[in-house]
Amino acid sequence: MSDVLLDVKQLHKEYTGEVNYKALKGIDFQLERNEFVAVMGPSGSGKTTFLNCISTIDNPTNGSITINSKNPYKLNDEKLAKFRRSELGFVFQDFNLVHTLTVEENILLPLTLDAVDVEEMKIRLANIVEFLGIEEIMKKRTFEISGGQKQRAAIARAVIHQPSLLLADEPTGNLDSKSVNSVMTLFQSIHETFNTSILMVTHDAYVASFAERVIFMQDGLLYNEIHRSENKQQFYQEIMDTLTFLGGGHHEF
Amino acid sequence: MSFNHIVIQNILRDKWTYISYFLSSVFSILVFFFFLITAFHPMMDAINPNSSLGMIMIFCSFIVYIFSFIFIIYSMLAFLKKKTKSLGVFIISGASMKQVQKMVFRENMLIAVVAIITAIVVGLIVSPLFLMIVKNVLQADSFGMYVPVQAIIMTLILFSVLFLIVSKFTTRFIKKEEAVQLLKADVTQEKIIRPTPWKFLLSILVNAVLLLFFKVSPGIIESLGIVYYIILFISLLITIYFVLTQGILFAIRKLQKSTSYYRKTNMLFVSNLQAKGNSHAHIIYLLSILLLAVFVTTSVLYSSYYNVEEDTEAVYPYSFQYISLPDNPIDQEQQDIEFMETTLEQNVGDYDAYQSAFKTDEDRRIGFMSNANFNALGTHQAMTLNDNEYYVVAGNEGRTPSTDTIQDYVDEELQYVGLGEQLILSTGLREVYYVIPDVIYEEINYPEYHVFAYELEEWTEKLDVAEKIESQIMTEPGERLVTSKISLYDTESFIKSIIFFIGFMLSLIFLSAAMSILYFYLQTSMAGEKEKYLGIRKIGLSIKEISSIVTRELSILIFVPFTFAAILLSLVLFSIRDALSPAFFQMTAVGVGIILLLFVLSFFIIRKTYLKKLVE
Repeated sequence: MSDVLLDVKQLHKEYTGEVNYKALKGIDFQLERNEFVAVMGPSGSGKTTFLNCISTIDNPTNGSITINSKNPYKLNDEKLAKFRRSELGFVFQDFNLVHTLTVEENILLPLTLDAVDVEEMKIRLANIVEFLGIEEIMKKRTFEISGGQKQRAAIARAVIHQPSLLLADEPTGNLDSKSVNSVMTLFQSIHETFNTSILMVTHDAYVASFAERVIFMQDGLLYNEIHRSENKQQFYQEIMDTLTFLGGGHHEF
Repeated sequence: MSFNHIVIQNILRDKWTYISYFLSSVFSILVFFFFLITAFHPMMDAINPNSSLGMIMIFCSFIVYIFSFIFIIYSMLAFLKKKTKSLGVFIISGASMKQVQKMVFRENMLIAVVAIITAIVVGLIVSPLFLMIVKNVLQADSFGMYVPVQAIIMTLILFSVLFLIVSKFTTRFIKKEEAVQLLKADVTQEKIIRPTPWKFLLSILVNAVLLLFFKVSPGIIESLGIVYYIILFISLLITIYFVLTQGILFAIRKLQKSTSYYRKTNMLFVSNLQAKGNSHAHIIYLLSILLLAVFVTTSVLYSSYYNVEEDTEAVYPYSFQYISLPDNPIDQEQQDIEFMETTLEQNVGDYDAYQSAFKTDEDRRIGFMSNANFNALGTHQAMTLNDNEYYVVAGNEGRTPSTDTIQDYVDEELQYVGLGEQLILSTGLREVYYVIPDVIYEEINYPEYHVFAYELEEWTEKLDVAEKIESQIMTEPGERLVTSKISLYDTESFIKSIIFFIGFMLSLIFLSAAMSILYFYLQTSMAGEKEKYLGIRKIGLSIKEISSIVTRELSILIFVPFTFAAILLSLVLFSIRDALSPAFFQMTAVGVGIILLLFVLSFFIIRKTYLKKLVE
């Protein structure tokens, strides 16, 4: 097996409607196995469309996407759903927890859909819950817990089936700075402990500085990328500089 | 910007929230209006309000009005729920609770006025067509078009009052909630079903006591009259409610505890049921009640139509029955008999004639018949009495006569040998007939009535003969009594076809109401469901799995009420099985079967469109 987990070639996405709009204009991108990449860019640069195409939620107009040497767009709906819950994990800005389920049931959802043995479920649940430190909210319903807790629950759901690729769309967008810190630390430790590859879209330079590589998008194209050096502080500064150059990050006082 | 301006803009700019509420209001008003058009039809004046047909009409109007009441309260609450978030926004923008209540009240009344007017206008436009169908179905020329002034006024008044009460009543509900809860209405959980074992037991107990009156002391029921039935009706409704909600709660708990809870889509399905437990239970309850109403109207009213021939024969045993009283001139009697026989010979050819007689105590309406005269009549088994025996025959359909008053008329002690419930002569002629040995009959000193009876084959089709004879020979009180089951059958069939029609209309009303409740329910919950499934699909739920959840949920919503209503119906039928003919069960089975077919069909249609909208 090659070391490339995700291979994106000439990805195009065009929204047709009264006014046609090209969201992605040909993106080539590769994600190595066990790599943590952040995608940044100003609003409307196509970040989320890019992520949605990779997460198989949105259909690309042109180009190819290969995840773990499989092309998800050649699968039918049922196989695609199976693919999503075995290969991919999702964390969204608005959490996307099912409000009719308890936190525990939400976390178990991907396993129940795969009809995993109940004993096996319990073991995996115990592991992940301990890892995330969310024992006390397991029996609660989703509207009874805070934003940070919701995101932890969503992360637990995203990684309980040990996906090869974890996709995150602005995972900290709805959180306060304390929760941002703990959620990002969590991402980092998942990345390190489970060797999970992570692709994360964010507009926050601080959040992006947790990644190993940051790619920048503008007008539907890849613009630039920077790799993390030893110094996180310096990495943050580089990210800020690039953002300023793109015309979004820095504020004049 | 005035207050009323906000009210109007609220409605105009948020049409789709209001439209389903508006339509369901129009629908229930329309239903009631149509019913009134039929009920107030000039032709219906002929029906005595105290007759069974009149009672059915009154009972049906009552049911339809109660039904409209519940239906409108239901749709108003559903509509308010949809609006809770925007009400919260009004409150945090500084509107006082009083203002919000006033706003909601005015909105409701505005919709109500428009709905009432729309319903009446639509009703008036459609009513000629409707009455034409009625006319053709009933084959009654008198059921023509008329201006239903009474129906219009009645609908206007009743529904204005209803809306006023309901609007005042429901706006009071808003007060209890905090603004925060209103704002979060779309994310917080709906009410789940609470276990209420005591209320449940109490309602069952009350019902059991009420039903026990039937067996133990029917006297109490008679003295309470209609009040008892209303109380029983309400208590039954409440009990059914508790049985359903608690049953659903029990089923959910069982499902959650079962080992397969964590298998495949079970968890999503069951948790969905639980989270929406209360509203689901309400829908299932409403549908069950409506379906039960459909079943009852179908089986009771359709089968009454079905049994006309047997019922007629039970009260009037002969095609023609001529009873000559002692005051009837003898040549008049002979002339009548001759006319009847020649008319029958000319028109029918083949007929059976019976001659008999009985003596009667006019004051106590008791008839005495000799054994020979009894055997001379043709509709029953002949028999031979010993010298000291007597036999009793009922004189009224469905009423058991006293069997021992004969002893007041004879000197020697007679032995009672049996009672015949089947009538030998027209119902109501005498209270009772005592069949006694010929010798004893001779000794009884009361005036003797002569009986001439004729029986035709295929009598139901001989209406023209009956009309010919009855135009010449008419009942003359004190002289002669003429009855014919043929003309009775004709009248009865007409009345029964009206009942049949009312039954048909009612079941149609209830059925379409059930369907529209289901439709509005699914429509209002659609947006939330769509969002939820979109979220789950992102993490890997295939359309097939969504379909399996939706299929199960819809089949619960559709078939649980059906099964429940069918079970209740069969319980009711079983408890009164002795009073029913096999034809009744046949008709009921056919009716229920047709409705089942309709339900299966609509289940597939609803499922398909719902799924399509859910994943589009």
